[in-house]
Amino acid sequence: MPFSQRLKSLWRNLARKQRVEADLDAEIRSYREMLEDEKIRAGASPAVARREALLELGGAEQLKEGVRDIRMGAGLEAFGTELRQSLRGLRRNPGLSLVVVGILALAMGASTAVFSIFQSALLKPLPFRDSDRVVELAETRLARGMDQVAFSQANFWDVRAQNRSFEEVAAFHYDEANLTGDGPAERVTAAGVTAGFFRTLGVSPVLGRDFSYDEEHGPPNLPGWNGASVVILGNKFWKTRYAADPNILGKTLRLSDRNYTVVGVLPPGEPWIDRQVYLPFGYRPNPDRSSWEYFVIGRLKRGTTLEAARADLQQIARVLARDYPKDDTGIGFRVDPSSAWIAGNTTRRALCVLLGAVVFFLLIACLNIANLLLSRGMARQREIAVRTALGAGRAQLVRLVMMESFLLSGCGAVLGILLAYAVVHTVRTLEVLHIPRLADASLNPWVLSFAALVAVLTGLLSGLAPALQTPSTSLATALREGDRQTGTRRHGRLRAVLVTLEVALSFLLLVGAGLLMRSFSQLMTVNHGFQTENRLLFSLSMPGPYWQKGVGKRFLDRFFERLKAEPDVIAAGAVSTRPVEGDADTGMGIDSVAQRADQRPPWAGWRIVTPGYFRAVGLPLVRGRLFDEADQAVWQVKGQPVPQRHVILSDRLAKRIFPNADPIGQHVLLWKGPQGGMEAEVVGVVGDCRERGLASGPSATAYIPYGPVALTGEFVIHTRDHPLAFAPVLRSIIAGLDSNLPISDVRSFEEVMERSVAPQRFNATLLAVFSGLALLLATVGIYGVLSYAMTRRTPEIGLRMALGASRGNILRMTLGQGLRPALVGIVLGAFGAGWLSRYMTALLFGVKPFDLQTYAAVAALLIITAAVACYLPGRRAMGTDPALALRAE
Amino acid sequence: MPEPSAALLQGTLDVLILKALALEPMHGLGISRRIAQVTNGTFQVKPGSLFPALHRMEEAGWLSAVWGESENRRRAKFYRLTSAGRRQLKEQTEQWVRISSAMAIALGTP
Repeated sequence: MPFSQRLKSLWRNLARKQRVEADLDAEIRSYREMLEDEKIRAGASPAVARREALLELGGAEQLKEGVRDIRMGAGLEAFGTELRQSLRGLRRNPGLSLVVVGILALAMGASTAVFSIFQSALLKPLPFRDSDRVVELAETRLARGMDQVAFSQANFWDVRAQNRSFEEVAAFHYDEANLTGDGPAERVTAAGVTAGFFRTLGVSPVLGRDFSYDEEHGPPNLPGWNGASVVILGNKFWKTRYAADPNILGKTLRLSDRNYTVVGVLPPGEPWIDRQVYLPFGYRPNPDRSSWEYFVIGRLKRGTTLEAARADLQQIARVLARDYPKDDTGIGFRVDPSSAWIAGNTTRRALCVLLGAVVFFLLIACLNIANLLLSRGMARQREIAVRTALGAGRAQLVRLVMMESFLLSGCGAVLGILLAYAVVHTVRTLEVLHIPRLADASLNPWVLSFAALVAVLTGLLSGLAPALQTPSTSLATALREGDRQTGTRRHGRLRAVLVTLEVALSFLLLVGAGLLMRSFSQLMTVNHGFQTENRLLFSLSMPGPYWQKGVGKRFLDRFFERLKAEPDVIAAGAVSTRPVEGDADTGMGIDSVAQRADQRPPWAGWRIVTPGYFRAVGLPLVRGRLFDEADQAVWQVKGQPVPQRHVILSDRLAKRIFPNADPIGQHVLLWKGPQGGMEAEVVGVVGDCRERGLASGPSATAYIPYGPVALTGEFVIHTRDHPLAFAPVLRSIIAGLDSNLPISDVRSFEEVMERSVAPQRFNATLLAVFSGLALLLATVGIYGVLSYAMTRRTPEIGLRMALGASRGNILRMTLGQGLRPALVGIVLGAFGAGWLSRYMTALLFGVKPFDLQTYAAVAALLIITAAVACYLPGRRAMGTDPALALRAE
Repeated sequence: MPEPSAALLQGTLDVLILKALALEPMHGLGISRRIAQVTNGTFQVKPGSLFPALHRMEEAGWLSAVWGESENRRRAKFYRLTSAGRRQLKEQTEQWVRISSAMAIALGTP
């Protein structure tokens, strides 16, 4: 059958339907008349002939139906009719339809939005060429308990030269620079990278060129480098600072008092390619082997496995340990796939929990809708019976119900997608949530396919229960009893089962929300060791010249002098890494001088502090004294004698190193390694604090004094009034001392604390919202089921009351029936929650997954809500007039 | 006529209708009478089977229809074979010959 012929017939049948029907009509009539003529010619009378002809024809309508059924487009027409019927059915119950569509829109919108975020963060591949060949390298010192440390420069160059498994190995070094000359001074994040870094990663500049291998420069902070200077810009920086200027190539930027020419712009790649500027560095003779500073990546040769690369590096490690015993004793290397960069474990877990929660919510919505549709189905018994009598088969009726369900889910999906769009575009801007690639979340084809799938599944699930219930009563019974909501016990039982499942799922959600909320409140009330009221934090980025000839120290001294004169300032200090928010965590081994050298020394963070820091940030002095102006930095200044080295320990660290003795006056070795360390005297012990964030425990920290080569860039000022009110005065003071010094990240300490727990707050809030809505839906479900059941039992109640049952008895009966599915659901939910909540352990703080308090509270809440839901039907049942009830039979 | 399966009936009916129209165009009643005639009364095609078949074959492009005048000056819809229809007739005839001789052999031997 040629296709064009099909189309022509289809078109004719659909578009010229009237003409086609008229034609058929005429043809049948003509046939009948000719049949009559035949019979008349054979001798019959006209009346007999007509009757016989009609009999032989067999019914014009049937003939027409027969022809219509085989027509092209018959299926389509039937579908169209059924669709119209479904729409009519829905329109007849506008309240119900709107409620259902509303619930569906909410649930599908939420799940689409969460999936969009999930997909952008975790499912999208890394934006690098052949990212499965890109790996991360790190040094290890397993004997000292360190399984991942950064590379030293010398080790990097050796690994690069000696390896046989990599196409390319490149290094990256965090840095900062001051951008001056083009408007106010601005601190920019920078990175020093080897020339092949972007090629190794697998990205190409969108503008200009990559670094070439013969470009050799030094990191901007170190003095004495004089080479031609080029810079590549990060994509976001190019767009925000230079408005995506296409003529940016060749422009000169002045970074930290040196000129650099822009030669390229990178493609976007947050959060991995997120520095604002990139500067090249190359090989210099006598590179340092002792300082662990470089982040190293490699691109495996085609066909080389991770295992082969690890074995190769192990070989190199042996050579290095032998050749450089001072720095590389016990050295090992680790190679990890770049897929680990996508997201940290906690983030992954949190997003999975969120997606799970929203799916549960969706399931609850489906169950609720199934319940609602079932209740409506039972009210349509008569309509269904009539349809059946008119010839509708079971399949057709099921199709009708499913079509209604799909129409509802379709509308819900459309509205849900709009909702998801709004939600995603609002959440995208919240970078405090630390969700990777959040800004890239969008309703892309993957997400829309998910939404479509969800819509189909929702329609299926919601429609299944009512569809399977058609038609369950005999035709005669249904026609006789009509729309009275008798139905069968099976109906009621099915609805009760649905409600039980709803309650169980709600239990899960509520427990999840409860655990997260308790976790969050524990986090907020944890003793972090700091005093955060009226504290202002800000950063100053000290350029290269400050590190020479004591310029920086003089600046700091003058700055604190000026601050002392301010009436609004109670205390001021500075530290090398910003508390709570800082991302440069410096660590070292530290131990008492008297300890055996072979035992693993305790690991502590180290911070450079000015004397005023402890008072400014509210850390109490536990023993000994704080630093004063006499304390010098531990690093020897060129041309000066070796300084008297003093250190202050945090309480935990002091107890760890000197469990039985007074630490004051004792000597410790700083940066303790296999070759020893730097000896210093303990002069004080201060209170513990959670420097690395509220969720991490109190950190072990060693504090060392500031000095000409030990500068601090993170400042804390304890103000008399609101801290941010001091900011303008602060800016003018700093401008007065050095107008080219950029200030950044000016925040109150309280704001810093809030930001640090923003992800936990977000998770807890979201789960609370979902579980609250779920509770509402479950309540409505319980109410509906009980209401229906009680109405069904009205005659029975009337009988009981006539036989002497009191109102109290009836109420008890009602509550019993209503609470039963809820109780079963709670038990099921408790088991489910007990099994699933262990998955959340990584997200909890100060709360166990099997927290009895939370479970009990949720159970109580559900029972109370169920009781509330039973109230109205219960009251109605109690108010039954026995005479009326019995008469209605 | 005993009711064979629907598929068999459809196939049989199709080729009979095509054969009936091989010589000249006819209207529905005429086709029915002609089929009865050439099969010696074995196949009496009722309108309930005839009409769907005719319309199906017309949509398939094997027949084309046009209104005309019958022998008794009645308006009637005349069907005739198209070239595609003629091809169909030839194919289906050959198929039937093959089938029937095979069946004859199969059923002829005890």
